[in-house]
Amino acid sequence: MSNTHLIKRPLPDVVDVLVIGAGASGSVAVFELARNGFSVACLEQGDWTPATEFAGDKPEWELVKQKKWHPNPNVRQGPSDYPINTDESDVNPLLYNGVGGSTILYAAHWCRMMPSDFQTRTLDDVGDDWPFTYEDLQPFYEETERLMGVSGLGGDPAYPDEPSFPLPPLPLGKVGLKAAAGMDKLGWHWWPGANSIASKEVGHRPACLRYGACLTGCPAGAKASTDLTHWPDALEAGAHLVIGARVREITVDDKGLASGAVYIDRDGVEHTQKARIVVLAANGVGTPRLMLLSKSEHHPNGLANSTDLVGRRLMMHPYGAAVGTYEDELESWLGPAGQILHSMEFYETDKSRGFVRGAKWNLMPSGGPLGMRSGYGGRPVDESFGVNFHKNVKRVLGRSFEWGVIAEDLPDESNRVILDPELTDSDGIPAPKLLYKSSENTEKLIKWHVARAVEAHEAAGATSIETTELMRDCGWHLLGTTKMGNDPLTSVVNQWGAAHDCPNLIIIDGSVFTTSSGMNPTATIMANALRSIRHLVENRATQPMSGE
Amino acid sequence: MLTDEQRAVYSRLADVLIPSAEGMPSASEADVPTKWINDALGYRPDLVPAFLRALEIGADGEAEAAVLRINSTDSVAFDALGVLTSGSYFLNPAIKELIGYPGQVPSPAYDDTASYIDMLAAVVERGPIFRPTVT
Ligand SMILES: Cc1cc2nc3c(=O)[nH]c(=O)nc-3n(C[C@H](O)[C@H](O)[C@H](O)COP(=O)(O)OP(=O)(O)OC[C@H]3O[C@@H](n4cnc5c(N)ncnc54)[C@H](O)[C@@H]3O)c2cc1C
Ligand code: SF4
Repeated sequence: MSNTHLIKRPLPDVVDVLVIGAGASGSVAVFELARNGFSVACLEQGDWTPATEFAGDKPEWELVKQKKWHPNPNVRQGPSDYPINTDESDVNPLLYNGVGGSTILYAAHWCRMMPSDFQTRTLDDVGDDWPFTYEDLQPFYEETERLMGVSGLGGDPAYPDEPSFPLPPLPLGKVGLKAAAGMDKLGWHWWPGANSIASKEVGHRPACLRYGACLTGCPAGAKASTDLTHWPDALEAGAHLVIGARVREITVDDKGLASGAVYIDRDGVEHTQKARIVVLAANGVGTPRLMLLSKSEHHPNGLANSTDLVGRRLMMHPYGAAVGTYEDELESWLGPAGQILHSMEFYETDKSRGFVRGAKWNLMPSGGPLGMRSGYGGRPVDESFGVNFHKNVKRVLGRSFEWGVIAEDLPDESNRVILDPELTDSDGIPAPKLLYKSSENTEKLIKWHVARAVEAHEAAGATSIETTELMRDCGWHLLGTTKMGNDPLTSVVNQWGAAHDCPNLIIIDGSVFTTSSGMNPTATIMANALRSIRHLVENRATQPMSGE
Repeated sequence: MLTDEQRAVYSRLADVLIPSAEGMPSASEADVPTKWINDALGYRPDLVPAFLRALEIGADGEAEAAVLRINSTDSVAFDALGVLTSGSYFLNPAIKELIGYPGQVPSPAYDDTASYIDMLAAVVERGPIFRPTVT
């Protein structure tokens, strides 16, 4: 990692807004604020990751993806990563630390939430209603989709406004057509997947080259990671970016308002950056970690934590999958990966299934010959090796694909992020620890959905099907740890992300999710971040600030 | 870099994992122990210690028994051996050709909506499936 503070102009002593984290939500905030004339600085612990570093177009891809580009920071152990204690968690959190945040590694499934996701209490008597509706967020989804250059096909009857997308859909290919034929036999919903991957050249990005390596960083630069979609324009508009800046505390002034942050650079030197407003965008684990680290006289239980809700209600979307193998040659290593199709057939609650809420399904290709060939240890040698090594490659390579199930997990206050009493990161800052158990409702939900996904493969003609009912490495979505709501007694932030206990602290990442939905969350994280920051910009005259 | 002795041990173990069968060459016929393992170890330096442990455990006796012994006594070492051996095998372009895998080569996206638009008409006909916002 480089030591340089990558700033084009001197950083003011006090900025209007200090944003922590240069990932999906932080990028939205920085760009929106800079182009509206705010002085804005962003502190990001990681570095830039140029597309030339990614291995997806190189022969060694499948070997290095299991380490250097692994989504689990505890496995990857890169210089900008911090450890996360998962001894008491059913699921491992997955993320990336650097400019672009986790969008560097995300699969770019672009999924708006459904209207019912905002009203789980009203409709299903579980969770809580969000303080706004699908219709309130809809224009922000549209605006974000234009900026991200989302590819998809309009007219999906699964959504109320049958959204159209700025770019045409990516190819379904043989895999998509095969799976769609199965769904049609059953009369089940399917639609070409929307992806934040360019199907045509757009903005700073070329069209997708179908390497299928999206989950390890796009070597073509076709995937909409926010280092490409937002940062060049944000810097152009005057934003300051400090890389290699690991924040250890949000400071407060004598009124208890957020007044800046203390960070450590890559030479181990501590700095303080002052600000009138602080925006937290460090994701569902990084944000509560920082708030719990920021204890003060005004905030003895951690910043803005009078409710003791900071870090609680962690939701991570346990993931189930059914992989089908087919006789036909399907070129199933081709990208995008990416969702080729999605299905919302079983998204809405049907209590006769024995659980509430549902899941989005996504269809994904299966990659190259090495695949996830790890973890053979202890299993019978001849299962994967000897003559079976060759037989398995012939049977599976290019002929298999996955129906994956994004299970909505409901908020539970005992699922939480806390500070580990012993473990620290490389700067000596206490590391987060996750306490997380998937619930009975989620387990029933996954079991039921995976059984239907098996039927979808059978209908499409699969010759063999393997299922996973809870993948451990599936914590892609880190949500809920600073709940959004109208009542200051039962939530941490209001509908605009402002902390009830600290009104110039604005939280805009996935932490604010009131419930998790059964969708990949980045479309909603970014649309919600835009809505919050637009509100801040429009109400700057009445916005409380430190130093006034 | 492996010593000649380590390489000789590895060659025997690798051929148990990937024998000549099903019309495919064995690991040593595909130059895994002599060439591709060097590259693979370079790509995965984190696996080197566990890999060397596997060679130590598997140094003596008949090769098949040695592989079983590695798996039963040190599963982490066996994982490293397995990943590096299969990974090395697939690094060889001749093997890629034999299994029909072109590798991750550019294959520009194209519009194939015409091939499924009729099928989609049926989905549209089945109608909306969402619950609207309650006001
Ligand atoms: C492998 C993988 C696949 C995924 N696939 C999808 C998908 O297909 N669709 C989808 O919608 N979502 C997907 N996601 C999730 C998506 O990437 C995240 O939801 C999204 O990036 C979260 O945005 P964020 O702004 O909350 O946080 P992030 O994007 O994670 O950014 C947080 C940033 O804050 C920085 N930070 C944290 N703590 C500190 C600190 N103390 N000091 C300084 N900087 C700090 C981090 O370094 C990081 O850069 C995937 C994620 C992963 C890991
Ligand atoms: S499939 Fe497309 S988006 Fe994914 S890595 Fe390849 S070029 Fe990038």
